[in-house]
Amino acid sequence: MTRSTIDWQDLLFGLFLMAVAAGTLVATRNLTVGNAADMGAGYMPRVVSLALLAFGLFFCGRGLRRAGPAIEAVQMRPLLAVLGAVGVFALTAERLGLAITSVVTVILAGFATREGRLRETVRFALLLSGAAVVLFIKVLALPVPLWPR
Amino acid sequence: MELFDNLLLGLSTALELNNLGLCLLGVVIGTAIGVLPGIGPIPTVALLLPFTFGLSPPGAMIMLAGIFYGAQYGGSTTAILVNVPGETSSVVTCIDGHEMAKQGKAGTALAIAALASFFAGTVATVVIAVMSVPLSVLALKFTAVEYFSLLVLGLIAAVVLAHGSVAKSLAMVLLGLLLGLIGIDVSSGAARMTFGVAELSDGLDFVPVAMGLFGLGEIIANLERPAERRVVSQSIRSLIPSRADLRAAFPAMVRGTALGSVLGVLPGGGAALPPFSSYALEKKLARDPSRFGKGAIEGVAGPEAANNAGAQTSFIPLLTLGIPANALMALMIGALMMQGIQPGPQIMTEQPKLVWGVIASMWVGNLMLLVINLPLIGLWVSMLKIPYRLLFPAIVLFCCIGTYGIANSLFNVWLMLGCAAIGYFFIKVGVEPAPLLLGLVLGPQLEENFRRAMLLSEGDFSVFLQRPISAVLLGIVAVMLLAMLSPTIMRNRKAALIEET
Repeated sequence: MTRSTIDWQDLLFGLFLMAVAAGTLVATRNLTVGNAADMGAGYMPRVVSLALLAFGLFFCGRGLRRAGPAIEAVQMRPLLAVLGAVGVFALTAERLGLAITSVVTVILAGFATREGRLRETVRFALLLSGAAVVLFIKVLALPVPLWPR
Repeated sequence: MELFDNLLLGLSTALELNNLGLCLLGVVIGTAIGVLPGIGPIPTVALLLPFTFGLSPPGAMIMLAGIFYGAQYGGSTTAILVNVPGETSSVVTCIDGHEMAKQGKAGTALAIAALASFFAGTVATVVIAVMSVPLSVLALKFTAVEYFSLLVLGLIAAVVLAHGSVAKSLAMVLLGLLLGLIGIDVSSGAARMTFGVAELSDGLDFVPVAMGLFGLGEIIANLERPAERRVVSQSIRSLIPSRADLRAAFPAMVRGTALGSVLGVLPGGGAALPPFSSYALEKKLARDPSRFGKGAIEGVAGPEAANNAGAQTSFIPLLTLGIPANALMALMIGALMMQGIQPGPQIMTEQPKLVWGVIASMWVGNLMLLVINLPLIGLWVSMLKIPYRLLFPAIVLFCCIGTYGIANSLFNVWLMLGCAAIGYFFIKVGVEPAPLLLGLVLGPQLEENFRRAMLLSEGDFSVFLQRPISAVLLGIVAVMLLAMLSPTIMRNRKAALIEET
């Protein structure tokens, strides 16, 4: 494993925490804080995000001062294909119906790996779509349309 | 005898025909999904959670518990036959179990794993029953002050005893607490961090979060590594272990069960700690430690027993006090809340049928595992042959439909998508997501009890130290945190959690 002079894992996690804490402090700035005996809605968010901010600073500082394992390279193919499949499901499920959406979702997710063979994936997607329709619409009565409206 | 009355009540619940059916269903589905490599018990339970919403609370919990230990059992099968641990708890089973399989003793290894699990499950059921009564008596003395301290103890202990960096896990707990605060504040009615999204006013659903973090994030990271899997393909000849095998395995089973029962109760210790400790113990006690790693039967029997006993006793904090010991129990708590049951120290007195039904069903379920699984081993082996390239698109699809189905809301699907991206980020920066889930589930209760305690004490923080039970609980927290700072313990903890090879 290659090592870099900066612990990128610590540094990135620290930055992430600080961003979340800062975002929370901004988002909850208008809530009443109150005091310990009579806490307002903003009391806990403020306490927790300040603690997170401290953790974020700690990890950033530690990350910059010591060496750490390198982060494995991000591969776009699986990332985009899986997230894309979920996104497409969210966009189409209520419009196109479960039958079509299932096929599309499975085929898209299949692109995440180079091992996939399109014909095999398509056949499998049709099979899964059928199974999903039977299970979720017929057996479990999920109120999602079967076909496009 | 109160104990027998309780167990009788539990058995009568567990043996009701529909609960029996749900237990069987849970165990079989759990095993089926658990066998598939790459999906551990947490994503399995998260995935199947939406299916239990229509059931009665005892039925739902019985089924979920069945899915959980079924999945864990299925993971052992995969560990032995393919050398792929479904999750941390079966890592150890891989070492000697797969070696046995390569020597043509796959059947023996599987049978010993099943017997060890059943033996441990039986003992653990009794342990739970015995320990629950005094704990529930204690729990009745709890007010908001004690409950707050207990929640803090639960969270901190889960962090300290689980693997991974303590500082990072603490940060993850806080992150989870923060996510738990999202929604309408109960006391003032003010919207907190909802960003005007109506779906957020009830707070974050934890199922999409769990599925995204544990299921999809993991899948994306898995796909980056070229997977190589070889099923031990020769037919599994004899499933019946020889007398010599049994004689070698039995003491290891007993020791593993004892170790697992104790470690399982500790928060965070449910998954990784018992099997590793048991393996180390067996190796230390063995006359010829060099056999380990080359197919020693004790190396399968001990850890498998410890694993199962630990899995079951990790229900104790949940069933008696209403606090989860690990991320999986957090899912169970979530399931309870969705059933309209407020988990807390009163759970045993208020829901005896549920609590004892679940406890008794564990023994019933373990018996089912033993009876169904050995004859069905051929079926599980054929499931192992489903290639990952077909498996993961199916999981993606079922995750989508599952999260959608919880509240018929596409918002949850988007939430899962976001959590998947964040889960992938967490894997990249080497952070365990489990503490986040604990924080998310316990956050609202933590805040509520904190506020109530502070209201009663008029803002005096020392109230947590003035009340004896609370002071003891916080004392344990302090000792644990101090211990973590001590270098020797850090080293030992690392050694205990490191993979034994």
